Amino acid sequence: MEADKTRWLILIYHLPREPSRHRVAVWRKLKTLGALYLQDGAAVLPENDITREQLEWLQLKVREVGGEATLWEALPNTVAEDGNLVEAFRASREEAYAEIIVAAERLRRKAALGTDGTPFMEELGKVEREFRAERRRDYFLSPSRDKAAEALKSTRQFLLEERSPESFGAGSRGP
Amino acid sequence: MKWATRRGCYVDRTACVWLIRRFVDPEATFSFFADPAEVPEDAELFDVAGARLSHHGDYCSFETFLKEYRVEDRALVEIVHDADLIDEKYGRPESEGLDSTIRGMQTSLPDDDVLTRHTDVLFDGLYAFLGREIL
Repeated sequence: MEADKTRWLILIYHLPREPSRHRVAVWRKLKTLGALYLQDGAAVLPENDITREQLEWLQLKVREVGGEATLWEALPNTVAEDGNLVEAFRASREEAYAEIIVAAERLRRKAALGTDGTPFMEELGKVEREFRAERRRDYFLSPSRDKAAEALKSTRQFLLEERSPESFGAGSRGP
Repeated sequence: MKWATRRGCYVDRTACVWLIRRFVDPEATFSFFADPAEVPEDAELFDVAGARLSHHGDYCSFETFLKEYRVEDRALVEIVHDADLIDEKYGRPESEGLDSTIRGMQTSLPDDDVLTRHTDVLFDGLYAFLGREIL
């Protein structure tokens, strides 16, 4: 039943211990893409045009700095194994979305208490940017995505209705 | 001159095509290949692993082009870099919009020849806007 399984890409790489900045750069790139490590030096992502291209460049980069890297297309052996991996991807996004929801609600509560000089709109903008980054690497539509979008929308609505000049940050103070 | 790159262009390659036509070779012809075996022998490759005009270190191909051909446009480089490498290196707000727009255009215009004719207009506009911003 191959049709039930996701096609995955696995980057297997090894980098010299020093300088450590290359290891950090590769790790950071994989984190941005939302990849998970199957084990040390073996990172996995669901296959699509974008992940394929990004991993190809990363493979090249590892080789350029003196490491070894091979890129594989893979199907897990069982549907169950595939399901576990999908769940692991969802779980990591769920965690991020939960933090976004907490941050949005905290901002809303703070704004309701009145202004204390916090530029609420700017703060909200940061959380919204984080949300968009999470959404880009949310390959399996994690259940909390909509909840997080809703929390951000309602906080934005609240701040707009407040119409407190201070909530828009520096330079927009009213008379 | 003949130029060749991989099929299925996205922000980095569409920006390179625009740059080639506008600054490097107005008579350029392009071939977009699925397999490297299809590349015409006398074509200059770009945005292909190992090519001279490709990703190098932290550079996306567009950045490599600008450096090789000494075209100066800091703002456009930063926008394309952020949209292509999604690393928020420069924090350019235009990148997210450019990223979504070109991804969408790629779906509605799957033929790279047609796509790049349209993205040329987009980059012309962005370039004109950034020029005005500096003045």
